[in-house]
Amino acid sequence: MRFFPHALALRFPVLLISISAIPVLAEAVTKEEAEKVEFFEKKIRPLLASNCYTCHSATTKAAGGLRVDDRNGLLSGGNAGAAIVPGKPDESLLVEAIAHTDENLKMPPKKKLNDEQISDLKIWIEAGAAWPSELVSSNQSSTNPKYEKLKKEHWAWQPQTNPQPPSVKNSGWVRDNIDRFILSKLETRQLQPAADAGKAALVRRITFDLHGLPPSPAEVDAFLNDTSANAYEKLVDRLLASPAFGERWGRHWLDVARYGESTGASRNLPMPHAWRYRDYVIDSFNNDKPYNEFIREQVAGDLLTARSDQDKRENLIATGFLALGVKDVNQRFKVRFIMDNVDEQIDTVSRAVIGTTVSCARCHDHKFDPIPTRDYYALAGIFRSTDLRAGLRNKMGGGGLDYYDTERLIPLQSGKSGGPSAEQLEKAKKEVAEAKSAFEKLRDSAEGSELSPDGRPRRAVARQKFNQKQIALANLTDPAANGGHVALGVLDMPAVADTEVRIRGEAEKLGPVVPRGFLTAFDVPGAKPVNVKQSGRLELAEWLVNENNPLTTRVIANRVWQHLFGQGLVRSVDNFGVTGDRPEHPELLDHLAQRFKAEGWSIKKLVRAVALTHAYQIGSEATAENLVTDPENRLVWRHSPRRLDAEEIRDTILAASGQLNTKRPVGSPAGDFKVIEIPNNGPQARQLQKASKDSQSRSVYLPLVRGIVPATLEPFDFVEQGTVTGSRSTTTVPTQALYLLNDPFVRRNALTLADQLVSDSSQDDQSRLNKVYRLILGREPANIERDRATAFLNEFQVIWQEESAKPVQVASANSGRVMQVSQITTQSDANSAPAQDKPKPASKATEVAKKPTPPVNPDEVIQEDSPIVEEIIQPSNAESAAWAGLVQALFGSAEFRYLK
Amino acid sequence: MSHRNVIQNGVIPSLGRREILKSASAGFGYLALAGLMGQGIEKRSIAADSNSPTLPGPLASKSPHFPVKAKRVIFLFMNGAMSQMDTFEYKEKLQKDGGKFGPGGGTLLSSRYKFSKYGESGTWVSELYPNVAKHVDKLCFIRGLHTDTPAHPEAVIQLHTGAALAQLTRPSMGSWLLYGLGTENQDLPGYVTINPAPNFGGTVNYGSAFLPAHFQGTKISDVGYLPNVKAQAPSRLQRRQLDFLQGLNRDLITNPSKPHELEGVIESYELAFKMQGKVPEILDYTKEPQHVLDAYGVKDGPEGSFARQCLMARRLSEAGVRFVEIAHPGWDQHNNLHAGLTRNSKATDQPTAALLADLEARGLLDETLVIFGSEFGRLPTAQGPDGRDHNITGYPMWLAGAGVKKGFSFGSTDEYGQTAVEGRMHTTDLHATLLALMGLDHEKLTYRYAGRDFRLTDVKGHVVKEILA
Repeated sequence: MRFFPHALALRFPVLLISISAIPVLAEAVTKEEAEKVEFFEKKIRPLLASNCYTCHSATTKAAGGLRVDDRNGLLSGGNAGAAIVPGKPDESLLVEAIAHTDENLKMPPKKKLNDEQISDLKIWIEAGAAWPSELVSSNQSSTNPKYEKLKKEHWAWQPQTNPQPPSVKNSGWVRDNIDRFILSKLETRQLQPAADAGKAALVRRITFDLHGLPPSPAEVDAFLNDTSANAYEKLVDRLLASPAFGERWGRHWLDVARYGESTGASRNLPMPHAWRYRDYVIDSFNNDKPYNEFIREQVAGDLLTARSDQDKRENLIATGFLALGVKDVNQRFKVRFIMDNVDEQIDTVSRAVIGTTVSCARCHDHKFDPIPTRDYYALAGIFRSTDLRAGLRNKMGGGGLDYYDTERLIPLQSGKSGGPSAEQLEKAKKEVAEAKSAFEKLRDSAEGSELSPDGRPRRAVARQKFNQKQIALANLTDPAANGGHVALGVLDMPAVADTEVRIRGEAEKLGPVVPRGFLTAFDVPGAKPVNVKQSGRLELAEWLVNENNPLTTRVIANRVWQHLFGQGLVRSVDNFGVTGDRPEHPELLDHLAQRFKAEGWSIKKLVRAVALTHAYQIGSEATAENLVTDPENRLVWRHSPRRLDAEEIRDTILAASGQLNTKRPVGSPAGDFKVIEIPNNGPQARQLQKASKDSQSRSVYLPLVRGIVPATLEPFDFVEQGTVTGSRSTTTVPTQALYLLNDPFVRRNALTLADQLVSDSSQDDQSRLNKVYRLILGREPANIERDRATAFLNEFQVIWQEESAKPVQVASANSGRVMQVSQITTQSDANSAPAQDKPKPASKATEVAKKPTPPVNPDEVIQEDSPIVEEIIQPSNAESAAWAGLVQALFGSAEFRYLK
Repeated sequence: MSHRNVIQNGVIPSLGRREILKSASAGFGYLALAGLMGQGIEKRSIAADSNSPTLPGPLASKSPHFPVKAKRVIFLFMNGAMSQMDTFEYKEKLQKDGGKFGPGGGTLLSSRYKFSKYGESGTWVSELYPNVAKHVDKLCFIRGLHTDTPAHPEAVIQLHTGAALAQLTRPSMGSWLLYGLGTENQDLPGYVTINPAPNFGGTVNYGSAFLPAHFQGTKISDVGYLPNVKAQAPSRLQRRQLDFLQGLNRDLITNPSKPHELEGVIESYELAFKMQGKVPEILDYTKEPQHVLDAYGVKDGPEGSFARQCLMARRLSEAGVRFVEIAHPGWDQHNNLHAGLTRNSKATDQPTAALLADLEARGLLDETLVIFGSEFGRLPTAQGPDGRDHNITGYPMWLAGAGVKKGFSFGSTDEYGQTAVEGRMHTTDLHATLLALMGLDHEKLTYRYAGRDFRLTDVKGHVVKEILA
């Protein structure tokens, strides 16, 4: 080669990987390569840094999608294609751009490089575009000596056993083999199990556990009056057969699947079709879809052979599991966007299905579990070969529909009208391009600040026009337009491949390629390797649900146990690794897992079996001795009281006031949102909160856009929605008390029930008390409670009348932006047929916000809170007020909040 | 503590100590029992306190790792990246070389605003901040800051949570402080954010992520609105109702099936009842004397927003709220640089100065740390005819009050103010230093989640001792 006339001293790190070819080690670095790198460092890198980095580098941005501070950035190029083709300067866009010959492609835009610089760049590209690699840390791919030992010893990775149910002294206590495992340990530790729960407690417990709802007074009576030997068994079967079962247990899975209807993270964009996945999950639990099939569909539904069109659609919707996570669409660099999403998928699949924290191995070998970085990237190759179809693209700093990509959706069923004609499409695209370029010209120019006739700056008008054209185009290209059905999910990429280890997890820093595969922490005998012609998700799914996978069935059996006993046999339900909890009952867990497999992976059968055990049916009474021996009740000597979750509290309040609509609503209030950023104080957020407030459907159907949690769910530790959460926290804080004392939802429903009681003149106060205690607490009041309640009702009425006679308080000066909308629930209102999913007529929360002008740069705009609309609930008379006060107190009581 | 006892993911943890406590009838002295022991104590790796015999609630005041320099924080967040070149960062060479080609590309843009030296420290401040300028001898500038991402959403999230990674939401710095230190006033939320950004991560910026929910920030609007905190019934009526309700709750005390959170529930109602009186009162800044309202420049509407926030911040902080954040948005001047700077400085200068003066006059500045700054800075070069683009390689913030040097400046950028060259300080170092000022060791303030220990500073961060008084 005639360039590099001066041989220079080699001053590079010894351990060097050249990424201009397949990674090789130091020994293979030739003198010639070293010279090329030297040339790069001396001439090219400084040139790029001082002329291009402002718009195309890691510390700034990737204008046009291009980065020039990274060889892969140049190779993969920006929106216009590869910037350089090593060895071929003539085919390299970069060379064309710096020549300033094409009017539309001049770089740097305002200042042409000098001839020497242009020549240096050509020389560098012709010589192969050498680029020194990162120093690879020597421990990057070493094997951790602890790993072999851990693999052999850690309980969770050992093959499942089929333990013999132990013998017990008190065999009369045993109703199922499960009871033998429990009783045997209790006997060993000399713990006496609590006496059986009363029938009233039992029917309340099992109904909440299976439906997330209270039993109606009639259902309680039916059970109490059924003296047949199998009364409880019949009750369990009835509950399992109801659609309410899937709504409750589907919600448990939605927690695990970190379900949400928006991207969350930095720019919160709606994912309007997410609800199809929600319905799919609920239906799967109701249909008792075998769990292995359920997992297979969610991980690889698109690759399965479908029995029917309906089946095919369902399989595609199921892959929403991989698509509905948090996404940083504002990520500047496509490669990071991709690898972050891959990581999100790996984390979700591994923690949800096998209770393993694989994501720790993204940057370094796992510190606790035997998961080397190699294994992580073996999985990453599978997801890197998977095409994420969430309708989104990444872009730094966008507005309007900039992030929406209608080609990245999965159409299920086309709308009423056929697709647009080629001409229509062509025209719309052209108009978008024109509007875009018109806007971009005005964006950074003085002209843009000039005012247009309507008084707005010209750039704002141009941006609005651009938005409108984008919407017009989307209306043509969006498969969901005109009533079409769309799923968010995944498909295989057209080109599938293994991927490289990323040094320290940095997306651009490539290490050696790793063949696609699965974890090596444990063996799954009989699992098939990846089909190299596909992404490998199908084999991954099969590996997960392989009968010999030690974790999958243990993890789900543990989740089932957790939802019936309040806590798992393994407390850390999403982490079975070394840092997780060790079960007191590993044999019982294996027993459950084995039975689960033998029973066709049926969730309902497992739930049924556990619900019918004696262990489940004991009382919740604690004794001082047992508390000392086993304070956490790990051995199940009683049924630990459990706090109702956020959904149960809301649904029960609605059910008690007769307002709950048990029918499934169609879609979601966020289902027709445009894919445009949602600030959490803007009109869309308010629209969602209003939809939640007005909804009488079960909580699982409320809109769940991330960051805009329905106000009725927020106080009671609603799930975080960001990552896999198999176990919610349960806090006790004053905001919960404030909610139960003052929130319009609680007050409105209390008053509705109060009005119903008062309006029924055939009832006296005693029967009203009976009714209200039964509705809310599932029991009748004791005599002393009756006396106290009666005294309360009388005194409250007197105080109410005295207070009502006082002049009305004026709202304080600084609540100027708080609008108060009074609602007086009348008796006719309360008696009208409940359970219609229409907004309540009494709520006339008028919208006063002006229509906002679309912002030019959304990041510059001062986003003002929408005016707060406060609903004031006012009883119409003293009697209603007193009864409402009593109802609300019962909703607020600890007895209501905790299930025995 | 062995790993065995440490439970992940919010699973109800070891009840041992709780049950023992209960049988020792610790009474109602502790709040929020549910997450209390395990989440509040056992999973927390705080120095001395876990052996404390009287177990407080998770929000009770806790003893820190180091001697405390600052008890409370008020963070004035200039959301959108304020141009330092036009406000607090004077560069003689930039003023001279306007119009020339800059070192990193682009055309240098001198500031149009006049800078002068102020105070004994002789600190340069532009004419946009004449009132804050009077306080320069109280301020401690850190001028070598840098961060990772030049996009607002990620940078705002990183500034608030330590990490911009989207895959795993981290707890916000206020919730870490609350987790580590508890709060001084049990009648008030310990962590308040007023007028937070509705985008750029929104709730993430004051959320508690995987920390228990009681450590999250309480959002209050810029007119002092907080849902459900105002009693919806006259006090007499509500008290009667509460007495009936608490009667139901107390009935359970002797019930062998009672939930272990029972006393926490009872306590939470009494607290809520008190909060209804206390919180609206504290947020009602209109009760301040007229000269105070005037000093801050309180008025209605958006122009008075920041003044109202400053005043509420002082009232909350004075009442013992551990961390108060207030925000002025709208600093992203890619266009309209000069109009935007004028608008924003007008809205923020007087109230910020008034806050400093007021805290000092009340003797609160010695125990309160005030932080003023943005998620990153802007470039010394021009963008378009009237704008500056983002800069993450060098920008300042200032601190004032408890624990930091006065009239001091640490670190610097190059001659044009583009890249930090001396005293470089990453966002993570700022966090480590903030924790140290509050008495917490950023390497020891950990929380176990999803199989590993998390920190605000993750695996990085060092305390910049140079700025500590």
